[in-house]
Formats: sequence, C-alpha cells, structure tokens
Amino acid sequence: MHASLTVRAALVSLLLLGLGLGAWHLAVARSGPAVKMDPEYAKLMGATATQGKSAMPGPGEVGAKIWQHLRDPFYDKGTNDKGIGIQLAYSIARVMTGYLLAVAVAVPVGFLIGMSPLMSQALDPFIQVMKPISPLAWMPLALYTIKDSSISAIFVIFICSVWPMLINTAFGVASVRKEWLNVAKTLEMNPVRTAFRVILPAAAPTILTGMRISIGIAWLVIVAAEMLVGGTGIGYFVWNEWNNLSITNVITAILFIGVVGMLLDQVMAYLQRLISYAD
Amino acid sequence: MAQALLLRLRRGDAGRDKAARRDTRGIHKGTVMSFKDPFDPANTLAHSCSCGEHESQAAHDAAVVDSTDKRYERVVQSAIVRAMFPQDAQRRAFLASVGASTALAAIAQFFPLGMATEALAQAQGAPEKKDLKVGFIPITCATPIIMAHPMGFYAKQGLNVEVVKTAGWAVIRDKTLNKEYDAAHMLSPMPIAISMGLGSTAVPFAVPAIENINGQAITLSIKHKDKRDPKQWKGFKFAVPFDYSMHNYLLRYYLAEHGLDPDTDVQLRSVPPPEMVANLRADNIDGFLAPDNVCQRAIFDGVGFNHILSKEIWDGHPCCAFAASKAFIAEAPNSYGALLRAIIEATAYASKAENRKQIAEAIAPATYLNAPVTVLEQVLTGTYADGLGEIKKDPNRVTFDPFPWESFAVWMLTQMKRWGQIKGEVDYAGSGKQVFLATDATKLMKEAGFTPPPATSKTFVVMGKTFDPAQPEDYIKSFAIKRT
Amino acid sequence: MQKPFISVEGLTRRFPDASGKGTLTVFEDLWFGVEEGEFACVIGHSGCGKSTILNVLAGLDSPTEGSIVAAGKHVDGPSLDRAVIFQGHALMPWLTALANVELAVSSRHPKWSTQQVRDHAMKYLALVHLDGSEDKKPAQLSGGMKQRVGIARALSLEPRILLMDEPFSALDALTRGALQDEVLSIRSKIKQTIFMITHDVDEALLLADKIFLMTNGPKAWVAEVVENTLPKERSRTDLHKLPNYYPMRNHLIEFLVTRSRELALNPGQRPKERMPPIVRPMAIFNPVAAVTSEAGKPAHPMQPGSASVA
Repeated sequence: MHASLTVRAALVSLLLLGLGLGAWHLAVARSGPAVKMDPEYAKLMGATATQGKSAMPGPGEVGAKIWQHLRDPFYDKGTNDKGIGIQLAYSIARVMTGYLLAVAVAVPVGFLIGMSPLMSQALDPFIQVMKPISPLAWMPLALYTIKDSSISAIFVIFICSVWPMLINTAFGVASVRKEWLNVAKTLEMNPVRTAFRVILPAAAPTILTGMRISIGIAWLVIVAAEMLVGGTGIGYFVWNEWNNLSITNVITAILFIGVVGMLLDQVMAYLQRLISYAD
Repeated sequence: MAQALLLRLRRGDAGRDKAARRDTRGIHKGTVMSFKDPFDPANTLAHSCSCGEHESQAAHDAAVVDSTDKRYERVVQSAIVRAMFPQDAQRRAFLASVGASTALAAIAQFFPLGMATEALAQAQGAPEKKDLKVGFIPITCATPIIMAHPMGFYAKQGLNVEVVKTAGWAVIRDKTLNKEYDAAHMLSPMPIAISMGLGSTAVPFAVPAIENINGQAITLSIKHKDKRDPKQWKGFKFAVPFDYSMHNYLLRYYLAEHGLDPDTDVQLRSVPPPEMVANLRADNIDGFLAPDNVCQRAIFDGVGFNHILSKEIWDGHPCCAFAASKAFIAEAPNSYGALLRAIIEATAYASKAENRKQIAEAIAPATYLNAPVTVLEQVLTGTYADGLGEIKKDPNRVTFDPFPWESFAVWMLTQMKRWGQIKGEVDYAGSGKQVFLATDATKLMKEAGFTPPPATSKTFVVMGKTFDPAQPEDYIKSFAIKRT
Repeated sequence: MQKPFISVEGLTRRFPDASGKGTLTVFEDLWFGVEEGEFACVIGHSGCGKSTILNVLAGLDSPTEGSIVAAGKHVDGPSLDRAVIFQGHALMPWLTALANVELAVSSRHPKWSTQQVRDHAMKYLALVHLDGSEDKKPAQLSGGMKQRVGIARALSLEPRILLMDEPFSALDALTRGALQDEVLSIRSKIKQTIFMITHDVDEALLLADKIFLMTNGPKAWVAEVVENTLPKERSRTDLHKLPNYYPMRNHLIEFLVTRSRELALNPGQRPKERMPPIVRPMAIFNPVAAVTSEAGKPAHPMQPGSASVA
C-alpha cells in the first residue's frame, strides 16, 4: 500500500532537509589544527584564528540563535538594537505603507489605462521605460528629493510595487469580456456601477496576480533598501550583524526573511482564491 | 563594571546640573569671581573673596580694573567651564589631561559664527530643541559621540540625544543634509567636500570638533605577511572607506612616498568598513587603510595583520569629525552648544588611558558598535595583537583631541588638489577657516587672556616631511606623484 | 400610416475593411417592421449581418445610415425596455444565478429594497424552473441552465422588447429543444415583442410569427418576409405533422441553400420597393395558397408553396 502523495512528498522534503543540514554540518565542522600561540596573544585573538574554526556557523549554532530570537523577539535595547520581531514589524509596516500607496495609485490608473486605448498607448512608453528600473536605483534620487530616508524607503517600495499592479490591472480591465460590458450597457448601468459591479470583479483575479507579484518584489526590495538606509527593519538587522561579521545572525535573519516572504505570499494566494471565479 | 560607571555618572548628573544653574544665577547677579582664569588647572573656583581670586574682598576690589567688555567675556567663559565641570577636582583633571588651550579652544566653539556675545548674554540658555538625532558609523572613531549616550553626557546637558547607527558615509551625508540628523559623525574631509559641493549639493558645514586622532591602520591580508616593503605591492587592491577620507589621502600619501602611483600601480576602492574584513577573507582585496575596529577585527579573525598604524605615517593626524550644518548652528545655538559640551566632555573622558577599558565595554553592545569587547579593548588601550604573533603596545594607537586646527583642513585641501578631487584655484586658508572653526577659538582665547596656540594653524610632519600651511601650492609641487 | 412597433428604416452598416482604407458594407438600406406582440425571426447565413441588426436594435452598435424606431422611440443606445438574451449566456461568473438576475432587477428598480429585488429575481428564476439552483455559480450549472438564467435575467427586466441573439446555438440538440419548449410556454404567459436571430429553420418555424430572410453578405438585404402559416398552437413534437410544415420548411431551406447566394451575386434583382415582399408558403391543396406581395405584384418567379409536396 502506498502512502498518499503528500506524505511521501513530506518524507522526501525531510530527507532533503536532513541531507542539507548534514552536509552543512560536515562542511563547517572541520577544525583546523590548533595554531601554536602564546597564550597571552591567543587571548587577543578570535576563535577562527586560534582554533582554525570555520568562519561559517554550523546548523546547531544557527538553530540556537533562532531559538534565542524566538524566545525574546520584541526586546528593545535602544535605537540601534531591537528584537527581531520589532525589526520585522518595521519592515512589514514599511512594505505595507508603500504597497498600499501603490495599490491606491496603480488600480485606478490601471483602470484608466485599461479602459482607454488612447491612454493605454500614450502611457505605454513611460511604463515600458520605468518598469525595468531596479527599484534601488531610485534610492539616491529619492533621498535627494524627499530628504527623508524612511519615506525614501517607502517610496522605493511604492515604485517597485506599482508597475506589476498597474500593468496587470490595465491588462485585466482591457480584457474584460465584451459580452459582460454589453450586459452592463443593456442594463443601463452607469460607468461607476459598471466599474465596481462588472469590471472590478471581472479583472480582480488578474489584478490580484499583479498584487501578488508586487508584494513579493516589495519584500525583496525592503531588505536591500533597509540595508542602504539603515535605522530599523530586518534589512538593517542583517546589515548590523554583517557589520559585526556575525554570520550566524545573518543566516538566522535570512531564514526569517524567507518565512515572512512566504507568509505574505500565502496571504495574497488566499485572497486570490477568494476572488477568483471559474468560468 | 561599565554599568556601575554609568550609574555613577548619571547619579552625579543631577547634582551637577543644579550646581551649574546656581552658578549661572551668580553671573547674572554680577559676581566677579569669574575673572580668574578658569582654565588654569592650579586654580580652585572656591570662593574666598567674591571672585575667589583674591585673599580678601579688599584685594579683589583693588584688582577690578578690566574693561567691562573683557570682563564680560571672561565671566561667561568661566561660567561655562564651571557649568561643564562644577566640581573643581574634575575640572582640573580635565584641564590637565587635555591642556588648557585645547579645552578652551574647543569650548570656545559654543560661540560660533560671531554670535558669541548674544549667546553669552544668556549663558546656558535652554536648548531650542531637546530631542536631537546624531548619526554615527560603527567604528571606534565615533567613540566620543557614542559613549556620550550610555555614559550620560548628553542627558547631563539636558538633551535627549538619539545616536543612530548609519549604513555608510554617503548615507550619513545625505541624512545630515536632509536634516534627519541634527549633527553627525563624519570623516573630517567630508564637511569640506560638502561645503564645496563635491559629491553633493554645496551646503555650508562646520567642524566644531575633531573626534579622534590616529586610530587607523594599514592592514594586509595574512598571505602577504612577507611583503612588508610597499615596493612589492604593485597590482594590489586596496580598500578605503570613502573618497573624501583621511584614509584615502594617507594611503595615497604612503604609497606615493614609496614610489607607487596610487592611481595606476594599485587599485583603490571605496568599500564600507564592515565589508572590508569579509572582502579580505574572500581575497577580493589585498589590504586596506581603514578605521578601527575593522583593522583589529581582521586580525582577530585571523585574516589580516597590521602592517603599520596610521600614526606611523603622521602622528597626530585627525580622522573623524563631529560635524553640523551651519544652518543648525545658527538655528539652534543653545542645542548646538549643549551638544558640543557633551561631546567635548566625552572626548576629554575618552582621552584618558585609564577610562578606555570601561569605554570599550560601554560601546561594544549591539546598539552601538556591535563588536567583540576584546577587539575594542585592543584598539582603545593600544595593547594589541599584530596578527603576526606578537603583542604590541602603543597607548597612542588612538587618542582623542577636539581642537579643529585649520591647517588640518588645509592639508586635506592640498591632498584633494593633489589627487584631482578639486581643480583650479583653491582658497586654502579661506576654505579651511570656513569649515574648521578654529578662528573663533583663538579669538576667544586671546580675549580671555590665555595664550592661544601660536596660530589656528600649526605645522606638522607627515612621513618626515614638514607641512607648512602657509605654502600649500609649494607643498603640492614638491610631490613627484600627483594629478595636477 | 401607423408605424410598426419596431420600424427599421433604411438601415445601413459599414465597417472599415481589413486593409483599413476602404469600407465593407455588411447590409444596406434595410426596411422592415415588427408589430407589437409579434415574434420575429431573422434567418440568414453567417456574415449577412443579422447579429449586427440585433446589436443596433439593442443599442450596442449604431448604424452608418438609417435608424430604428422602437416603441415610438428612436433607438440611440441601450435601454432596459429592450432586453437582450445573448448567444453565450454572458452571465457574470463571479455571481450566483440569483445574483446575476438581481443585478438586472436592481438596475431596473434602483430604489427597491434588497428583499424586493430578491423576490422579483426569484420569481423569474422559478419561471425558468431554476428555483433550487439560485445559489449556484454559473460554473456549477449546465449549459442549458446557464441560458435559462440568461432568459430569467432578461425577463426580469419586464422589457417591452426581447432581443435574442441565437440564444440556443451553443447548446446540444436535446437541451435546445427543452429550452425552445420553455420559450413557448413563457410566451404563452407573457406577450412580449420578440426579435430573434437564428440559423435554425425548425427553431424559426416553431417560435416565430414572421421570418425575415436575409441574402448573403456583403451588402445583404432582406429578400422577403415569410409569414408563418402554421397554426398558432403548435409544439415541437408534432410540428412536422402540420400540413404547412414542409412547404414552409422547404421554402426556407431552399432560400438558404440557393437563393440567398444567387441574390447576393445579382444585386440587380433587388426590387426597387423599400418594403420586402411578404410570402406565405402553403401546401398545394390549400385553396387559398397564394404568394402575395405587399406591393401587389408577383413576388418572384418560383412558386414556393407548391414545389415541396413530394
């Protein structure tokens, strides 16, 4: 009798995880020959120098660090040292602010573009040029013009999440079936009612696909943006620990970033399921 | 240990604040005890006559012959010194350790931009803005700015200062230009560059105090431990923290003195200090002239060794500065004054060798430098592993002295010109004066009856060659390797 | 002269052609009328522009020349008085069957309460025998059920004119038959003016009172109006047993197979009169078998009624 596919897949996942962790452990566990050193001198040196220890932490160290962070995620030891929970909350708050602003702009503008072939063609060259710009390339310009680093970070989130939503909204709106629009016309629905009762629900799955792409990009970008501007947030945390050459903390942060990114994506996936329709 | 110290300092604060206020009131009542030179470590400010200078009130009365103006100036000077150091023992210790002229010069920066008289009339006016943000880069150069926070120096001045760790020099520049920070830790050439509009919009900036002197080093990858002669370094890749940094100028100077053209024989890159050790480990660079704790960290992690300390290139060179925009100084002179008092006090405290271990502990936590205490101790005490198996001792590996010599600025300008960062005519003396606020210091010192440093400029020796700030162009011409 | 309830007057529709330079005339100078309460049907091959006529009638398209007057009003846009049953069901897939009908009802009666709207919508869903499936989304309904929802949606508007654009063409034969019965039964209850497009001869014979025959496009025209001579009371099952069934059917098929093409090739045969001739095909033994035209002259050389009794 075969176990269900899910169970088998989970077993393979666990096996791969075990293999990965094992390989990681073996790769960093080797300790070079202890260097002969004057004990007084050795006191002044770090473990990598005195014991030939690998600069990479092992899975055990990272696990312990994760546990340490999880036990007290919200401590606050001053401006530059806050718990990982607080840092993540800062990042999420920034992402959400920039992202919601982008939604507020991209959806109406996308609507306009989608409904008007004129605007669509007129704005297309701008969108095509703006879209491929790396969001971080905006950072110096934002800092220079906005003159506030946390607003600049939010702006960068805004500018990176606006394009997928804009393009998807426009596409979704433009490809609403003619027959539904005809129904709306024969029902003498006014443009606002048509927009909310017909076009929006019809384009919603496409719009949400754009929103899901955007949130992914926004989360990717916030880490880099915070590494640049510093202050608070998970990106700053990574930078601060990198500054201390604490690879253990960097790896820990990477895992947290991955988990939060996944959760954000899952939330969007859930919303997508809610509003999608079978045709 | 550090905690106990903090507590002690904080507990002392309240009492000292009260004392300061009492003294201020005393000035307004017109007591004349402040005629006495407050910068003389031998003096006490205890009162025997109304000014404390004379054996009796009669002797005092006889001595009052100064012009009203001068007297006024001195009253204020004295008031401020006492406000800062209400306890005589502390004041004397401070003056003995940094030298009276230096202390006065630095303190004189409370009265920048010629607005001294008005500012003085109110002596220690209430800060216009109590909540201040000061940016710093996590390196030991920032010690005074950082330690003033945990050790309560800011709080003592009635300020609520947030010291904000910042990702890099360009960011700290932008955030200060954007007024997110009221003042900041900068590389000392940066305010000059900003004032001249190099690499940013031109905004008048000032350096009221230098933070540290010395305290940098050339660190090489451990694989080069046998290549101690710079002539063997052709093709090396070096990292410096920023284009407008003493590190850049010192490394270029050092290389050029050994016959290497820093632009063609080696590669120089701007790398944020935190990434330097990782790059050294990854073999992306062969070495760097970097601020500490980065150098010692490379040794600590066994990836680099100390080639030379920067003091071996120029003993007494400035490195980082405490910088503020002139707009901030003009808009909030009292806040600025209070901030500077805190910095100067911290600098004085940091300059003492016996305090260094405590400071190392105070600034090591994640919220400040986020570095191992062992590393910071080695940097600050000057007893350090050199990465080649020896323990070296040099108590002046890094030290702290706030006086912003104009000639420092002039030297930086010569190097900017020498390496082509600025072109054309340079008003060395003028630009230096604009940014490094030593002029006010000298003026006030003279009025107060002190012997100021011979000038606001001094000559110094860089790798055996004397620099005359009066002849900057000749100095540049004297170099074989240059870009002009 | 009293205008018909729906009066199509000189209707012409041209589209830009594929090259974008010239124009393509789909139909030209159409004149015909439908009386109130009549069930009119347009039959013709694809490309003759019959859907375009319906779109113009619905107000979704506008003619290049000419105009339509319906219920005394000039047609210049969509109206709730002219409900459309679309070829594809055109239901909103994100709404339940009930919500689809409610959308129409609340458009018709914006001031009604939610409950009123719901009750009214339910009434029409019940009329098409969909009570019990009102909470299903279109994807959960069969093709026939979807089209029933579409019919309920149109009927719920209580329009003066019902426009049907090949409503059953996408359905399999069995479902189509059931729905045709449905339409017949509804029609017995609600007397509306209906204008339907089809290419199914039997469907036209079963449902229509009047059948407009269109020549092939481009430049199509209504060649003749066939009056259904079958008894008013008829059902799908015994349709073929009616005496006039074959003459009618053969006349229509003959038109579709040959004449529609021939006429298109010889536009010179288009009569000068505006109104198309009216034709009543009948069995040969019928004493009043005749072919008359409104203009009072022989309609055309063939005797449509007699040819088919074989």
